[in-house]
Amino acid sequence: MEVTLSMDPLFLAWSYFRRRKFQKCSDLCTKVLEDNPFDQAAWSLKTRALTEMVYIDEVEVDQEGIAEIMLDESAIAQVARPGTSLRLPGTSQGGGPTPAIRPVTQSGRPITGFVRPSTQSGRPGTMEQAIRTPRTANTARPVTSASGRFVRLGTASMLTHQDGPFINMSRLNLAKYAQKPNLSKALFEYIFHHENDVKNALDLAALATEHAQFKDWWWKVQLGKCYYRLGLYREAEKQFRSALSHQEFVDTYLYLAKVYQRLDQPITALNLFKQGLDHFPGEVTLLTGIARIHEEMNNITSATEYYKDVLKQDNTNVEAIACIGSNHFYTDQPEIALRFYRRLLQMGVYNCQLYNNLGLCCFYAQQYDMTLSSFERALALVSSDDEQADIWYNIGHVAVGIGDLTLAYQCFKLALAFNNDNAEAYNNLAVLELRKGRIEQAKAFLQTAASLSPHMYEPHFNFSVLSDKVGDLQSSYVAAQKSEDAFPEHVDTQKMLKTLRQHFAVL
Amino acid sequence: MSSVPVEMKDSAMSTSKWLDAHYDPVANLYTFSSCITLADLHGDGENKLVVGDLGTGTGNMKLKVYRGTGLLSENTLLDLPTGLVSFLMDQHEPRTPAIAVASGPFIYIYKNLRPYFKFTLPTLEVNPLEQDVWSQARGDMIDPLTLKEMLESIRDKADIPLSVRSLRFLILEPQEMESYVNLYKEQPIRRQVVLSYSHTHMCKQLYNYYMHRDPKENMADDDAVSCLVIGTESQDVYILDPEAFTILSKMSLPSVPTLMDVNGQFDIEFRIIVACRNGNIYILRRDSQKPKYCIELSSHPVGLVRMGKNVVVGCAQETMQSFTQKGKKLWTTYLPAPVTTMALLELPARGFQAILVALANCEVHVYRDKNVVSTIKTPDVVTSICFGRYGREEGTLIMTTKGGGLIVKILKRTAVFDDRDSISGPPIAQSIRLNVPKKTKLYVDQTMRERENAVAMHRAFQMDLSRLRLAAARAYVKALESSLTPMSASLTEPLKMNAVVQGLGPSFKLTLNIQNTAACRPVMNLVISFLFDENLYSMRTAFFKIPLLVPGLNYLIDTFVECLSDKGISDIIKVFVLREGKSTPLLTAHINMPVSEGLALS
Repeated sequence: MEVTLSMDPLFLAWSYFRRRKFQKCSDLCTKVLEDNPFDQAAWSLKTRALTEMVYIDEVEVDQEGIAEIMLDESAIAQVARPGTSLRLPGTSQGGGPTPAIRPVTQSGRPITGFVRPSTQSGRPGTMEQAIRTPRTANTARPVTSASGRFVRLGTASMLTHQDGPFINMSRLNLAKYAQKPNLSKALFEYIFHHENDVKNALDLAALATEHAQFKDWWWKVQLGKCYYRLGLYREAEKQFRSALSHQEFVDTYLYLAKVYQRLDQPITALNLFKQGLDHFPGEVTLLTGIARIHEEMNNITSATEYYKDVLKQDNTNVEAIACIGSNHFYTDQPEIALRFYRRLLQMGVYNCQLYNNLGLCCFYAQQYDMTLSSFERALALVSSDDEQADIWYNIGHVAVGIGDLTLAYQCFKLALAFNNDNAEAYNNLAVLELRKGRIEQAKAFLQTAASLSPHMYEPHFNFSVLSDKVGDLQSSYVAAQKSEDAFPEHVDTQKMLKTLRQHFAVL
Repeated sequence: MSSVPVEMKDSAMSTSKWLDAHYDPVANLYTFSSCITLADLHGDGENKLVVGDLGTGTGNMKLKVYRGTGLLSENTLLDLPTGLVSFLMDQHEPRTPAIAVASGPFIYIYKNLRPYFKFTLPTLEVNPLEQDVWSQARGDMIDPLTLKEMLESIRDKADIPLSVRSLRFLILEPQEMESYVNLYKEQPIRRQVVLSYSHTHMCKQLYNYYMHRDPKENMADDDAVSCLVIGTESQDVYILDPEAFTILSKMSLPSVPTLMDVNGQFDIEFRIIVACRNGNIYILRRDSQKPKYCIELSSHPVGLVRMGKNVVVGCAQETMQSFTQKGKKLWTTYLPAPVTTMALLELPARGFQAILVALANCEVHVYRDKNVVSTIKTPDVVTSICFGRYGREEGTLIMTTKGGGLIVKILKRTAVFDDRDSISGPPIAQSIRLNVPKKTKLYVDQTMRERENAVAMHRAFQMDLSRLRLAAARAYVKALESSLTPMSASLTEPLKMNAVVQGLGPSFKLTLNIQNTAACRPVMNLVISFLFDENLYSMRTAFFKIPLLVPGLNYLIDTFVECLSDKGISDIIKVFVLREGKSTPLLTAHINMPVSEGLALS
């Protein structure tokens, strides 16, 4: 014990910091600072420790808020050319699977194999839609930019400390700190991440870059980050570009690509990534970035190519494996998808989504003995009601596949019990009700499904078929038109419309 | 058309037979093919475009004359124009044609763009019952509402239709009736041949009546004096003398004429081809008062063009059919979209005739018999089309669009319409390979495994299935017992509910959609209650009654929730629908509340 006491507390704190025990490090630094409030080393270490506690990777977090989506004034061309915009969902050029095979998100993009911010959200078409969608903590759906994820992940500044905040922002002389390069960087990160005070961070960065005679690329990147947060994308672009001319750096490429994506210039972003790959051949993050853009633009084939490149460099990349797997699943090769998901399992990914996918793959690859046990395991691993609903929904699909409609009925109802907004379950339940001849029920369910997710064509088409059977041709026609809007290439809808039009035209 | 890819435009330009002369998307012209014509109004050898503009449908109807790209003159029309023709009415030099505009029960004749004569169609017999009712109204013996009821009963039963005045009265709102009766009750009722209004004037088929010129006397060329031929809502066709404006001949039809084509000479022999609202085409000849031939179509005619001795009809069923003048069917062709209007393309100098068909998919096709010889893409749906000499240019195509635009195109003098036959051989779809994924080796291996261990696999599956059925049934029963599902399973109250949250916070609007899915039984005595964390949320009314639920209707019930926390956390709110006096809920909905962002901002 004597020995530990005599150990230099700052060294110990440093050691804690390196072992990522930030709370202990911070406590120790506080003690050092109590003895000597002007110890710059301890002060700097404490800021870093506090920052690390709430640090989130700026590159990965990208969530467009309602304000950005709906009040976008920079949109010039309302109808962009096909293949040049992320906002135009229906422009598939890669010959990807149709919505009949691969389900789509609200914005009309095929669902991905890997959930990350912005994969589920898409861009809602109307304000009504944007406001109505549930925006809970566990669904990555639109939030307002100022709060949302930044608040949730970096709540540090909101929780009050018993003896006031560590650094009082209002009393900070930024100009003084900007002169000291060894302190200013740590201070900047603290302000940016811990305090989440972009305006002051920007001031500090501006002063510091001036002090460095506009030659320090690091400060330029930080300036760009601040501008990006403030929504000044063109300024951010300028800073990142300038930083790149000083120093080629992967992070800077990623930030710049993010700016271009936000400006809805996916082609520029792709070119930038390729430029980056010239300097950093085989860089996984750049390859992933390319793949993601291709995926968002509905070009699934190229996306898969790039994910394969990612796997060549890093064969444990979960995102790449999951995306390739889901692509194989939806292109009618469940046996290969099964391989990829098994690989994930071997790598130690152990959650209900994976078991659910494994179960589905086994079922469609006719490996029946492992199907249901996978689902059972998935049910045992469930952590939220939404996940449980999804799994029951998929079991319902299997039940429909083996013809056990009672089980299917129960499963879909359970899916609805756990998640009231499951439009797919409503739709399937309606079909089962229709088979039982309960038309009123089926009608009500289909209407609900259609109102819950207007992007799905199935409820509209089913409603059209139902109305046609009942003899209500007008409703049938209206529903068929809605179905056509959601999925223009759907052959059955086209047939339906054709027969209906004939009905109307014939004397 | 800014979004058209470059390649497409290029290929279209190189093969196009048409020059773009003029396009004004905001010309504010709303008209149909029957109200548009080209005529040399001043005898100076330059043809002008004369248009009867429908305006807004209720006002702003105008007779417009265009020269070149500019508007030459405008005359206000009193009523909706239903037909417009130019015709020569006398032998005087210079030979300037007159314009006849049909609207309401009148035909207005304009000469030199000045009103010249008004022809009134003969009156018809008025229903005595109707006359009776109106005379009672004049004596203030009945109030407007009774008048309305009585007129309605007459309309439903009597053989003689109501007059225009009564029909207009019937469509009025109750508060407007009084003044309408006071205004008109003193005047005698007249039932004129023509109904005055067609409210659905945007719809092509509903013209009230039609006019057409008919070459008269012994000259068959364009310089001849012509008679006016008029189709009326009273199912008659009249032929008028062009100088005296007396009725030369009257023929009756079994239905109301909508489209008409006339050729021949009045004194010798003529044919009038009339498409009627009952979907039949009748062919009238000089010597008979009744139609000579009848063509029964399978759907409504929307365009009628005579090409030489044949009649080409565009039908509502997206088809075009050709008949001889004796009613024999020649051919049918299927179109890619519904027809909006049709016209004849005639180049007498080159002896070329074709049919212009405007389609609802913003295209105009030129057909020579069954074959498309040219396709014109337009920026909007074309509603009226006219081909002929405009200015001094022989082959000019004039189109007006649904949005009120005016398009003028000139046929290139070098344009050749080659008569290629429609594509023969197998359809293109036959040679497209389906993208069927290959059978992978893995798949073959797996099927081998399946074949070898079939029994074991089946047993495992069946056992798992039984277990799963049990698990599902357990969960289902649990859900039913606690009424977790958003639809009730009880037979007496089949209800369905879903909830939507709107808002950014701290105030949210909860909208509950409740529907009674029973076939015919209403549900009553229901209450709604909410369960939520009171530290986090507050609700003004957490318990309220809901009204009687009529089956099949979706009831929207709104309530407001206030979020009290500023920590950026959210919770679930449970909604229960209960029967009055019972504590077990009929159904439950869980609402995942979004994070409140209003407080976090402030």
